[in-house]
Amino acid sequence: MSLELSIHLPLARFPLTVDARLTGACVAVLGRSGSGKTSLLEVLAGLRRGARGRIVFEGRVLLDGEARVDVPPEARRMGYVPQDALLFPHLTARQNVRYGARAGRPSRVDEAVALLELEPLLERYPATLSGGEKQRVALARALATDPALLLLDEPLAALDVALKERVLPYLLRVRDEARVPMLYVTHQLGEARVLAREALLLESGRVRAVGAASDVLGASARSLLAGEADGEENILEGVLERAPEGNTRLRVTEALSLWVPDAPEVPPGTRAAYAVPAQDILLSTGPLTGVSARNVLAGTVTAVEPASAGELAATVEVAGVAWVVRLTAFSVRELAVSPGQRVFLAVKTAACRRLR
Amino acid sequence: MTESTAELVVFTLTVAAVATLVILPPGVAVAYALSRWTGPGRGVVDTVLSLPLVLPPTAVGLVLLELLGREGPAGRVLDALGIEVVFTPRAVVLASAVMAFPLLVRSARSGFEEVDPRLVAVARTLGDSRARAFFRVTLPLAWRGVVVGALLAFSRALGEFGATVLVAGNIPGFTQTLSLAIFQRTQLGQDAEALRLAFVASLLAFVAIYATEWVTRRRGRRTHA
Repeated sequence: MSLELSIHLPLARFPLTVDARLTGACVAVLGRSGSGKTSLLEVLAGLRRGARGRIVFEGRVLLDGEARVDVPPEARRMGYVPQDALLFPHLTARQNVRYGARAGRPSRVDEAVALLELEPLLERYPATLSGGEKQRVALARALATDPALLLLDEPLAALDVALKERVLPYLLRVRDEARVPMLYVTHQLGEARVLAREALLLESGRVRAVGAASDVLGASARSLLAGEADGEENILEGVLERAPEGNTRLRVTEALSLWVPDAPEVPPGTRAAYAVPAQDILLSTGPLTGVSARNVLAGTVTAVEPASAGELAATVEVAGVAWVVRLTAFSVRELAVSPGQRVFLAVKTAACRRLR
Repeated sequence: MTESTAELVVFTLTVAAVATLVILPPGVAVAYALSRWTGPGRGVVDTVLSLPLVLPPTAVGLVLLELLGREGPAGRVLDALGIEVVFTPRAVVLASAVMAFPLLVRSARSGFEEVDPRLVAVARTLGDSRARAFFRVTLPLAWRGVVVGALLAFSRALGEFGATVLVAGNIPGFTQTLSLAIFQRTQLGQDAEALRLAFVASLLAFVAIYATEWVTRRRGRRTHA
């Protein structure tokens, strides 16, 4: 996508001031609660009066204070998915998904229903849907209008862990199969890493950092989100394979694959995503032999940064994939972990949890 | 029921129904505007709109009479157009409508206030204009308040007396409603007849209020399940 932003919006506690040029297909917007993330999405969707400045998306001017251009929300083609889904309570799931479909305009209703596997839910009313199901319907409702850009406001934040893991793979499918550019607001580093290649970090209404996700989602992001980014996870996507001896392996890249809990029922070639908690990974400065963990990966430390109280987060690059490992300050001192160092990571098969 | 009683009932119901229909569009518009209006002056407008609820109906009737009479500002215009209002069935409808208006607005407004404005915002991003979003989201979600308001207004119109008698008179067979007829029969000493009419009026009121209760209590299976 190509999104040029130069906006100013007075908020209750501080003004939201964003100057940025975003180009990634999926951009993560991170910040603490109340940092202006939701307001930014609302300005983009045209739902906030009083925003000044300029928004140009794919060459189309959506807002230009000087030229007095302010395209109304219904003409912006922004697919907005609010945090609490906000389904229309008086309509069935099917009617919700079809809401934006209009005669004579391209509609992706069927595609959205298939992609988010909503067929069994279509006749139900929102009040009878679970949180994760609501989010899927809300995603489909936005997708069905064939939006030029999806604006996702913490779609997973309102869900508990189990539900979160059921919705995330759908988000990956939306990104990869529907191929709609998206702006993804979150305060979870793991989600941001797996979904986005580009990230924008907001602090009290100002851009703290913007750029490649690998650069932005490091120490400053972690300290900014401290306390809100607990339970940091590595999320890995890949294709499932059956090993000759009858075990299941996730091929992440050509050079990296991971033993995961055996899943004989899953046909080989299925795309899947797994989560590995950052504190469930063992880091060793010497070669690991005779350990029970089946995944031993060699890599290089690229950063060691403070995380939450008494803990540090080491970023280790393994065959082009960045892993985050939580270590105690004591271990870091003891092992003298520092950037550039060759290390080994041990990941138990059982620590790899499939997201579905 | 004698023929004259049947006529009274039909006339009373017709007047109440027409009065309700007449105030429905402006009532809904005013209720919606009030529910979304956060600026200054809202309290004053609110109070003025609620005045007919608490003023003596005869005072409202008097004001209407002054406005609509031959010499009144509105009366002159109507006279020039050849439209007669005062002491005609039109005046009965008008008096009932004015007295019932605040009830409709109050109930419809609370219906609109319950609609999350963010749902409307989502509808806009899905391609709806302001007006389209109102008819597809706001109104369907606020319908209970609107229907209850309309039923209350209708019930109020059924029993209207004070304003009506001043601006429409009490002309049997022309502007006489049930409540006016009850008054007239008592004045004529026909107490038994007056009581009979009072019983009929009670029946009508019962049905109208019961319908209101039914709508209020029926939990939306979909929205509140």
